[in-house]
Amino acid sequence: MELDAPNESEKTSQVRIKLTTRDSDVQLLETAPILVSTALRRYALSTLVNNLLESEKPVPFEFLINGQFLRTSIDEFLTANGISAERTLTVEYVRALIPPVHISSYEHDDWVSSVNVLATDSRARILSSSYDGLLRIWNTTNTDLLATSPSARDNGHTAAVKAVKWLTEKKIASSGDDRTIRIWNYVEDEGSAAAITPVLELYGHKMTVGDIAIHTPTSQILSASADGRVGLWSTSKTTAPTAPTSLLPTASSSANKRRKLAKADNKQVSQRGPLSMLDGHTDVVSSTIFKHDDPTVGYSASWDHSVRTWDLTTSRLVDTRTTLHPLLSLTEMPQVSLLATGTTARHITLLDPRASSSKVSALTLRGHANAVSSLAVDPKSQFGLLSGSHDGSCRVWDIRSVRSVASGGGGGDGGQVGESVYVIYREGVEGVKQRAVGGEGVKVFGVDWREGVGIVSAGEDKRVQVNRPEGKQ
Amino acid sequence: NIDPESLLPKLPSPDELRPFPTVCANIFRDHQGRVRSVSVDPTGTLVASGADDGYVRVWEMLTGRQLWNKKLSDDEAVDVVTWRPSKDTAIIAAAAGETVYFTIPFGLHTVNPEIEQASREVLDSGFGYQANKPTTETNINKEPTATWSRPSTSLTNDGVLLTASVRSTIKVITWHRRGDYFATVSPKGQSHAVAIHTLSKHLTQLPFRKLKGLAQTAQFHPSKPIFFVATQRNIRSYDLSAQTLLKIMQPGARWISSIDVHPGGDNLIVGSYDRRLLWHDMDLSTKPYKTLRYHQKAIRAVKFHQGGLPLFADASDDGSLQIFHGKVVGDLMENATIVPLKVLRGHVEKGALGVLGLDWHPRHPWCVSAGADGSCRVWC
Ligand SMILES: [Mg+2]
Repeated sequence: MELDAPNESEKTSQVRIKLTTRDSDVQLLETAPILVSTALRRYALSTLVNNLLESEKPVPFEFLINGQFLRTSIDEFLTANGISAERTLTVEYVRALIPPVHISSYEHDDWVSSVNVLATDSRARILSSSYDGLLRIWNTTNTDLLATSPSARDNGHTAAVKAVKWLTEKKIASSGDDRTIRIWNYVEDEGSAAAITPVLELYGHKMTVGDIAIHTPTSQILSASADGRVGLWSTSKTTAPTAPTSLLPTASSSANKRRKLAKADNKQVSQRGPLSMLDGHTDVVSSTIFKHDDPTVGYSASWDHSVRTWDLTTSRLVDTRTTLHPLLSLTEMPQVSLLATGTTARHITLLDPRASSSKVSALTLRGHANAVSSLAVDPKSQFGLLSGSHDGSCRVWDIRSVRSVASGGGGGDGGQVGESVYVIYREGVEGVKQRAVGGEGVKVFGVDWREGVGIVSAGEDKRVQVNRPEGKQ
Repeated sequence: NIDPESLLPKLPSPDELRPFPTVCANIFRDHQGRVRSVSVDPTGTLVASGADDGYVRVWEMLTGRQLWNKKLSDDEAVDVVTWRPSKDTAIIAAAAGETVYFTIPFGLHTVNPEIEQASREVLDSGFGYQANKPTTETNINKEPTATWSRPSTSLTNDGVLLTASVRSTIKVITWHRRGDYFATVSPKGQSHAVAIHTLSKHLTQLPFRKLKGLAQTAQFHPSKPIFFVATQRNIRSYDLSAQTLLKIMQPGARWISSIDVHPGGDNLIVGSYDRRLLWHDMDLSTKPYKTLRYHQKAIRAVKFHQGGLPLFADASDDGSLQIFHGKVVGDLMENATIVPLKVLRGHVEKGALGVLGLDWHPRHPWCVSAGADGSCRVWC
């Protein structure tokens, strides 16, 4: 320590910084370190980078130093983190996320279990599934309810619906507690009322089907069930195998009794079975996805702590990554080659499923106070992630914002840990109840994130909520 | 100059003993009145609860969604609810008053047609047995020990397909691991207090007619044909095949409320109304190996994790649950390691009662509690 060094404050009034970014479209040509005042804050640095980029339209930037966002002056940051101003500082700039504000809410009659957004050039539609056994389609321009699926009496789901996805603009898949996956047609013609009509019922699972993934070009579906299996299905009547008779409602005397109450003039909807059932998990399979660029590869996450990779052509288990906690949700971050999985232990684990990777966990995202039920990727940033939790919040993450922690302390797994950039609470819920014990009344069950529509979340408050960055970008 | 503390064996710190439940993940509310009992289903996705309002309710464990309910009795509380321990069936056994109600909760995701069929067969097979029963049975002229019957259509329509009634209010139902035998305890039933029933035969036996003391609770040994009966002061173990008394454990408690046998079969925990939790190593002694005094009020329930995690918990009228690490080593020379891990608070005391029941998830470090405040809580 140079305790008697003169004019310490003057000496540190400038610092050499090396500006870097992982956003390819805002790279600087000149990458040599530059000298800046330590009094600079985010805004001044953002102006500086825009000047260097000679941007016509300024892009707001945020700055990461050692994985932490700069929220103070550089000087204060260096002091708080015990970093010497003598050394060249590597400063990573990232497109600033604008705080997402509440745009609209869609009122349901019961808990909303999942949401999926259709966004085409001509229109945006929100599809939601509910514990009342119904699917609903909403117009995002005026929040109008356009269509509701038929009830159990009219060939609808006979219990809570847990997952729903657009197959195409005109076709929908859903699954739930009645152990079925159902395929629906959706018609929305100019001038006539929109309608959801059942076309196919898929049987094969023995317990609830909590999640589905779709691959539109091949008309295939992956399903995740509490029976511990991953199902592969065709959405086409002609290519789907016959249904297993022992699992049809006709094999159940209680269901037969119920069906007698159904309308007499109901036409029987076609029933089919799975292309294959993938065995390997030893507990509830909570979530499944197709690999983004290869529909012959599927991933699944389970309460058995593992994420498994499947070869869907041969029904072979290719890889098992075992974490420390039961897993509830799964999504892929393709450009960074990571899978994100949400745990009952309140965090998100990012892992690299490629065989070349030996590490189980690449990164842990901490901040939620209850189970992480759902995940979606940022449509605009390969580093952005959205999570929904039973704690009643959604969180927005930038996985470049990380710090290293020692293992063991506080029960953490060690390694790289990230913190969220924004937290979104349930709109219309009082401040105290937003952090309700046990997430009572505010649990989030489903999220989606689409450009133009925004962050869409569904939950126990019987609402679908849309949040979007508004104002200057 | 030796510090006597340094001679004591070092206990591991709670941080090293994860995972164990630390936070309330869920609250189930709808019961009007005290919740007496909770039970996690064999699949680990559902929780059944029974309460003073006469209802059995079934909840989705991780979301708290109520999926099913049935009122069993207009004037009796549901004192105990428990799932039959088999993944091949979905059957709830719940007691209100003197009657055990066997229910297949139709409509739940676990009750697929195959499970429904298997469950119906398990509940119905005894009707055939009873009909063919030879009339040379001993109690032909006596009042039957229990009445097995098909309940009213208002119950059968909702899946309540079988009842078994004894002579006095049932406070405990405890299953043998295979799910054919179960025992009921009616503390005020005198010579009929402890009954062992055979579900497949709709048969009831009273092997402990001359029990010394008032029966409080009972349990089957996890692997051997041994049966434990707790009276207010003692726990007796019996060899069921030889019909002999094996041991009398004396925990030293003034009034036992609850017991649970460790899955390994050689250790036993005992909860008492006089606030004590006692650990018995039955190989070691008839006296407790450890006495744990952590609660301000009566202990109502004690339970070991049954799915391979070294955890146990108790529930108290002070409104809290205490989670412990309890590691049993196979080696006869080494004693169990017991470490208090966490006090779980949240239930509100009501009418001097706190937490009345608890159960563990079959695999994960999650437990669920039944409160006098009318709520159930899931702890993860
Ligand atoms: Mg021993």
